[in-house]
Amino acid sequence: MKNKFVSIVAAALLAFPMLAHAAPVKIGFINSITGKEAQIGENLTNGAAMAIEDLKAKGIQVELVKEDDGGDPKNALAAYEKLVTRDAVIGVVGPYTSGCANVVASRADQYQVPLLVPAAAKEEITMKGYKNVFRLNAPANVYSQVLMDAVKAFKPKTIAFVYAATDFGVSTVKTAQENAAKMGLQEVANEKYQQGQPDYRPSLSKVKAANPDLVFLVSYDADAILLMRQAKEIGLAPKAFLGAGAGYTTAQFAQQTEISSLVVSATQWTDDVNWPGAADFGRRYKAKYAKEPSYHAACAYEAMRIMVETASKAKTAPKLRADLKAGSWNGILGPVKFADYAGFTNQNNHPMLVQQIQNGKYETVYPAQFSKKALVYPFKR
Amino acid sequence: MSFLQPLISGILTGGVYALAGIGMSLVFGVMNISNFAHGDLMMLGMYLAFFAFTLLHIDPYISLVLIIPISFFFGYMMERIFINKVIHHPHQNQILLTIGLGLIMSNTALLAFTSDPKILTTTYSSSAFNPFGDVSVSVPLLLSFLITCAITIILYFFLSKTSTGMALRATSQNREAAQLMGINVAKMSAIAFGIGTALAATAGALIAPTYYIHPLAGHTFLLKAFTICVLGGLGSVVGAGVGGIIIGVVEAMSSTYLSSDWKDVIVFVIFLAVLLLRPQGLFGKKGGQ
Repeated sequence: MKNKFVSIVAAALLAFPMLAHAAPVKIGFINSITGKEAQIGENLTNGAAMAIEDLKAKGIQVELVKEDDGGDPKNALAAYEKLVTRDAVIGVVGPYTSGCANVVASRADQYQVPLLVPAAAKEEITMKGYKNVFRLNAPANVYSQVLMDAVKAFKPKTIAFVYAATDFGVSTVKTAQENAAKMGLQEVANEKYQQGQPDYRPSLSKVKAANPDLVFLVSYDADAILLMRQAKEIGLAPKAFLGAGAGYTTAQFAQQTEISSLVVSATQWTDDVNWPGAADFGRRYKAKYAKEPSYHAACAYEAMRIMVETASKAKTAPKLRADLKAGSWNGILGPVKFADYAGFTNQNNHPMLVQQIQNGKYETVYPAQFSKKALVYPFKR
Repeated sequence: MSFLQPLISGILTGGVYALAGIGMSLVFGVMNISNFAHGDLMMLGMYLAFFAFTLLHIDPYISLVLIIPISFFFGYMMERIFINKVIHHPHQNQILLTIGLGLIMSNTALLAFTSDPKILTTTYSSSAFNPFGDVSVSVPLLLSFLITCAITIILYFFLSKTSTGMALRATSQNREAAQLMGINVAKMSAIAFGIGTALAATAGALIAPTYYIHPLAGHTFLLKAFTICVLGGLGSVVGAGVGGIIIGVVEAMSSTYLSSDWKDVIVFVIFLAVLLLRPQGLFGKKGGQ
């Protein structure tokens, strides 16, 4: 009996180093699977799942620990702490929303486990000099910058802001105001709203009364449809509706052609852009999930790919941080490099795209080198 | 900008709030139960209208003919199976039960229908007409308001003229005395809960064409329904109707003349003022609950 026990222990000891060697790298993934942001969260889930599959096909194994934050920063922080302390992951991808990502980012240096933010836009996340926080997508100031660049040639004079009272909404509009001031645009209305309300008509009527050339909107999900419906109802028709991300870039929004036609929006990614693998990713995603991928899906795919590829070589959190900082990649999101510039730390200087809904389809219209169609201006019903 | 625009859109939106509030107030009046599942019952109404429209191709307003009996039966059975077990229990037990039922409903809906918001787009979803100059009136919202008025009038006559209605009111006024007079109060509770559920589902179906349909959409309206009930006087049907319209108008006015960021603040300041100065609510009976 005693001999048998000793031999089992000996066998286990012999087997263990080999196991440890073959053990896949452990990565955490925080996402909004439930809650208000769940619809967009699903895009991230699918994108990340596709990345894991592609990596497996290449022979890279990973143990992914998934956590749901429900769109709530408290839960996101608890998820991050659980991942780094209990699951001992060496890197984390996520969270999705700006509010969640910002809170988690503030703790990443304390735990020394690299965080790769795939799609949250609030500038602050990579502006505090955190060494362990990396961001793949372009921050909020680029949303408004690229949208205004796209309409600059048409010389608009006035602008109105309509936006959700969320981290993303407020920070996007703050930088949009700076960009508008630089362009010499005069702000004629500023309407911040609480999400999920049934009646936005009073706010939109105020905007209509101010008669702006541009209406700049920041909304999540279904609020975008509600706002555009009520805008049509009260007869708000500026020269251009500029939708900054999220709710104005979903397939569901494009399908509502009666209200969404000719709305201009900024996006991190489209499937007709000429970055390597972008079109192929779009095709495979549609085949697998029977849905159009949003930019969130592409961001999550690329973030997961970069994180796992780098982590599987690095093996430890400090080495992973150094490798993320030093490396460069080129994939479905174009060239990626985590650089320090203009007050940002470990921020990928990602070029954003401008798209317009034409005949129920998103068409890339700006910058010219990535687009096949031209911007339709002014807006007409 | 015209003063009429926020007034009209506030009254029309308030009509739907009122319908949600009336259902809750009726249940409270007859059964003395705060129904925390009310918002989720509204959500069920939204999905019923959505599926009637997408699967059976029935206009959401016409589908009310189906939704009202289905939801009445659902509420009636819910009372018979669950709610009447706690009717003589302390309030916290009743609250826990209704919150639990609500959670089961919303999470079942999340599992069954996913969290993708559904959009019910009818041909008139974003249409409007201009009766006075540049004031625009939303067609679906106006239809909803007219249906709300019709239902409220029918409910009023039902409560004041029919024997079942009188029995309901008697139960609401004094449960023990009503029972001594030979009224089947258990049955009245089930009927009241059925009507409350039908009103919640109707409110959900009425707002569906102008809102979005989501498993958690009812929660926005639950808080509004509570505010309306307390504002109008718990148990008062007329109070809930007036309370709903007041909240709709205050929201629209404060969004227009202050900022939409402030509208909840204004609503709750009025709410607190009513609680301080007239704790029984605008139309509540003094000395009542």
